[in-house]
Amino acid sequence: MDVMHWLWKNYVRPHRMKMVAAMFLVMVTSALAVTGPLIVGHIVDEVLEGGNLDVLMPLLIAMVAIMFIRMTIVWCFRMIFETFSQDATCAMRRDLYVKLHEMDFDYFSANKVGDIMAKMTGDVETVRHFIAWVVYSLFENFMWLSLSLIMLIRINVPLTLSLSLVAPILGFYAVRLVKEVRPTFADIRESFSTLNSVVAENIGGNRVVKAFAREDYEVEKFQKQNLDFREKNLISAGVWAKYLPVLDGLSSMLGGIVILVGGLFVINGYMTVGDLVIFNGYLWMLAVPMRMFGWLLNDFQRSRASLEKIKEMLDVKPKIPLEAIQTTEAIKGFVEFKNVSFHFEDDDRVAVLKNVSFKTKPGETVGILGETGSGKSTLVSLISRFYDAVDGEVLVDGKNVKTWNTRQLRDAISTVMQDVFLFSDTTAANIAFSNTSADMSQVKHVAKLADAHHFIEALSDGYDTIIGERGTGLSGGQKQRLSLARALLKDPSILILDDTTSAVDMETEYKIQQDLQKVGVNKTTFIIAHRVSSVKDADLILVLNKGEIIERGTHDTLMAKSGYYATVYNEQIGTQ
Amino acid sequence: MASNVKNSNTKIKRNTFDVDEALEEQLSIKDLKRVLDYIKPYKSQVFIALIIILIANFATLIGPFLVMQAIDNAIPNGDIPQLMTLAIIFLISVIISGLCVSYRIKNIAKIGQNALRDMRLELFTHLQQLSFDFFDSRPHGKILIRVVNYINTLSDLLSNGLINLISDLFSLVIAFGFMLHINVRFTLFSLMFVPILFALAFFIKTMQRKNFQTLSNKQSNMNAYIHESIAGIKTSQSFVREKENTDIFDNVQTDYRSAWLRAIGTMFLMQPAVHNVQVLATALIYFLGAHAIGDQTVTIGVVIAFIGYLGNFWNPIVNIGNFYNALVTGSAYLERIFETIDETPAVMDVPDAFDMPSIVGDIVFDNVRFGYEDIEILKGLSFNVKAGESIALVGPTGAGKSTIINLVSRFYNIDAGTISIDGQNISQVKLHSLRSQMGVMLQDTFIFSGTIMDNIRYGKLDATEAEIIAAAKAVQAHDFIMNMKDGYETEINERGSNLSAGQRQLLSFARTLLADPKILILDEATASIDTKTEALLQTALDRLLEGRTSFIIAHRLSTIKNASRIFYISNGILQEAGSHHKLMEIPDGHYRKLYESQFARA
Repeated sequence: MDVMHWLWKNYVRPHRMKMVAAMFLVMVTSALAVTGPLIVGHIVDEVLEGGNLDVLMPLLIAMVAIMFIRMTIVWCFRMIFETFSQDATCAMRRDLYVKLHEMDFDYFSANKVGDIMAKMTGDVETVRHFIAWVVYSLFENFMWLSLSLIMLIRINVPLTLSLSLVAPILGFYAVRLVKEVRPTFADIRESFSTLNSVVAENIGGNRVVKAFAREDYEVEKFQKQNLDFREKNLISAGVWAKYLPVLDGLSSMLGGIVILVGGLFVINGYMTVGDLVIFNGYLWMLAVPMRMFGWLLNDFQRSRASLEKIKEMLDVKPKIPLEAIQTTEAIKGFVEFKNVSFHFEDDDRVAVLKNVSFKTKPGETVGILGETGSGKSTLVSLISRFYDAVDGEVLVDGKNVKTWNTRQLRDAISTVMQDVFLFSDTTAANIAFSNTSADMSQVKHVAKLADAHHFIEALSDGYDTIIGERGTGLSGGQKQRLSLARALLKDPSILILDDTTSAVDMETEYKIQQDLQKVGVNKTTFIIAHRVSSVKDADLILVLNKGEIIERGTHDTLMAKSGYYATVYNEQIGTQ
Repeated sequence: MASNVKNSNTKIKRNTFDVDEALEEQLSIKDLKRVLDYIKPYKSQVFIALIIILIANFATLIGPFLVMQAIDNAIPNGDIPQLMTLAIIFLISVIISGLCVSYRIKNIAKIGQNALRDMRLELFTHLQQLSFDFFDSRPHGKILIRVVNYINTLSDLLSNGLINLISDLFSLVIAFGFMLHINVRFTLFSLMFVPILFALAFFIKTMQRKNFQTLSNKQSNMNAYIHESIAGIKTSQSFVREKENTDIFDNVQTDYRSAWLRAIGTMFLMQPAVHNVQVLATALIYFLGAHAIGDQTVTIGVVIAFIGYLGNFWNPIVNIGNFYNALVTGSAYLERIFETIDETPAVMDVPDAFDMPSIVGDIVFDNVRFGYEDIEILKGLSFNVKAGESIALVGPTGAGKSTIINLVSRFYNIDAGTISIDGQNISQVKLHSLRSQMGVMLQDTFIFSGTIMDNIRYGKLDATEAEIIAAAKAVQAHDFIMNMKDGYETEINERGSNLSAGQRQLLSFARTLLADPKILILDEATASIDTKTEALLQTALDRLLEGRTSFIIAHRLSTIKNASRIFYISNGILQEAGSHHKLMEIPDGHYRKLYESQFARA
């Protein structure tokens, strides 16, 4: 579907009554604008030349009143255009926002934050400008064009026809302009998006930049993109510089045609001098829309480029649908992996999980141990169905996760991700992120369970302390405990802790473990860790190596095997 | 966010997406002068552009004159050759004016884009000087919008706007001259309306400015929320926060929408104001003119000519009004940009700072006091570290271990006392010379988008491939890298999201190793690395530590025990210092108790 049609159908059509009303007002003001010269004509003819002072006041009052009314209407219709363009673009931005939450994790691997950001801000803004300004201008100019043509035809048909000779040339250049300028807009957009990403990354990585004293290098990297953005803008301006004078010149040329052709007509007696003068007087009404034509095409193309990007994002079909199936029964927390294999979409050479099978039930804890990059985080992300297994089945409560409603499934699971993300909000609001209906006492309760209460109280504003984006300013252990508290506030059936206590000292970890045992009675808990102390009490310990389970059992059975687990255990504990 | 847990009387020191940033009320002339400074380097181009515009205007003015000639002379006389000549002259004038337009578009785009480029570079360069506090105290989306979106909004103002203003002022003066020449009395009456317009403009400006400030705030809030939502999307998805987030977004967006409509509504008042005043002024002249003609004090020609010039007088005023409008709008963004450029970095070089000489590695903390906001963390901390020593920092959470290592790199300024390296007070040396000799590895390893190769190279920009591979091998990262799709040339996603946390730490380790720092700081740098890899890594680490002063924060016993000395920090001071064995000998010692409570349990 053409993007313009798509825009109309989904976002503008619901507001078509406002649009029709606004366009009607545009027609009214265009008509009023024509009266101005008429009144002036009367004043000159009757008052100044005719000396009839009696009609002066009424004419002047009419002139002032018409201007006042016209300006009032102009204000009104422009506000109507602004209002419904806001309505339409807010709906569009909202759709994009909702879409974000439906996208697969893969999408965010392939698209940078800055790029998505550019769509939701810059591109939507371009569309707003299109609806509010371009649509209105197109219509208004169309009105001018039609009105002037009517006037001109009434005066002299052949002369008007001779003017229309310009039209095909104008059309020819306009089409070429559109063709040539379109890719330049796509380039500007692309460059803008990259610029956005470069700056976003620099801001996010400001600590590393400072730690390596790489400010100059960063500036250089930025300047490259900054210059590229400038260049892309100039290239676009170059296309303009090539075509706009032609379009402009053609509209000026109308005057020349009138002199020459009109002059010949008069000389040959086809037309009177008076008519030629009046004809010439209305010419500007025709020339102005022709001049605007180029600018409007410009904006039109720019909007297309943006609309295409927006539509592209909205058209992405998530591989994991959120609402495809409706299920109502409560999730108890039985988890089973049956011969599960997995590799990432963009790299099918590397098998991240190979034939993983295990089974667990509510009240049990599964500990997962293994080398860096052995697939531990991926394994647990399959339970929440952030990815789908390539082979085999992941079952929750005996049913394949694909047959659960994804929202409901995720709602039953609380994950503390390895990359802790905290929002720039208060500590209390960060904890309550998982459960907005929780009250302060519940928030404090889980903070105590996660052993976060004391350090939170020690912050400058306690639970009201606003923390930096991603939790900068907090230590690794503090961030982990905050995100643990957040996960616990939800009271899930399945609790997944991915490297959650790695930055916490062992005494604190021990305390947290005691607390978790208390709240974990009815839950299935997964603990990914490198410290043996974190997993040794688990009911089932899985040791992963390159995506395969190489050892499984309890602490005692694994110690008896003297395999990987026992080696690691001895290395960590046995050294004393 | 969650309103029921948010205290209403929160002391706001930091900023969030739903809090507007405070701003001064006045639109100052100083800001305008600063804008002009960005155009100054291009003043010769501006001058040329102006001349071109004047030529173009002149070429356009010829048109009506030629028409007049044709209608008055050539046509009544049936003089076809003259008519042809006029048409040819007309054609030439159109061509000249077309060339001017072409030149003008190119040139003005260049001036505007250059000015924007300069401004963006200045802002970005300045951002690099700002300290942690600046980045930690507000959502990153609010910083981002300033560098990219806000500066873009100035594009038209800086190019077309400014040049048109000059040419409009020019036309205004000319028209005024003609008016005076034709009739002084009419001119004076016409001028009467100028103060009325000024008063109206001032009234509108005051409202408009306030409304646009609100708008820029709401826009910034919305962007911050969008930015944070995208960055934290995995967390939101895992907690199924679609509904709550969308509700918040709706609120943020509704605020933006109504701020927009209010702002634009006042902006749209300017056009009616100017036009209504103009029509009143014209009506008055007709009135006076008609009576004057009756009294036979002026001729009809004078009145018609005067009215004609009055149009030429008001048109530039309309344009200047529009420019003023754009300026008021732009100033809401400009002041944000200037505010950021003017932000003094909390940590910066002192005026007579000198380069830190090549570091040997003796570090002295002398009675150092430091606090964040109003909480004092270090209360007179003193210690000596000899070159080549490795120091493990231990102590309860929040004791200030991370703070100490942040102070060594001077990421924050201390409140009292001195920190010196090799006898040089670090507050007296150039930051760049100090930090470029340090290797800091934080627990949150930030990986840039780009290839693995590029990421390791960040430690030493001129490193060869062989050096990079050697560094990766030393930190046990080589194997996993070779297992990736394109080996060292594999593209890493933003923030390394396609790597595991342990892999990211290994990369950042390689990066630091490559930098060959004189002082090494490891803050929980290996927390996400498995035991087997860590054991292998230990060899590389030992080699890395050899001959370098290092500070290590870790929870792993082996790492702590290997250190030359252990510092036990609590209550903001150094409680105990010494080797593992020495500290274990202190009965009831802090370290001994910590050791027993933590490591003995397993």
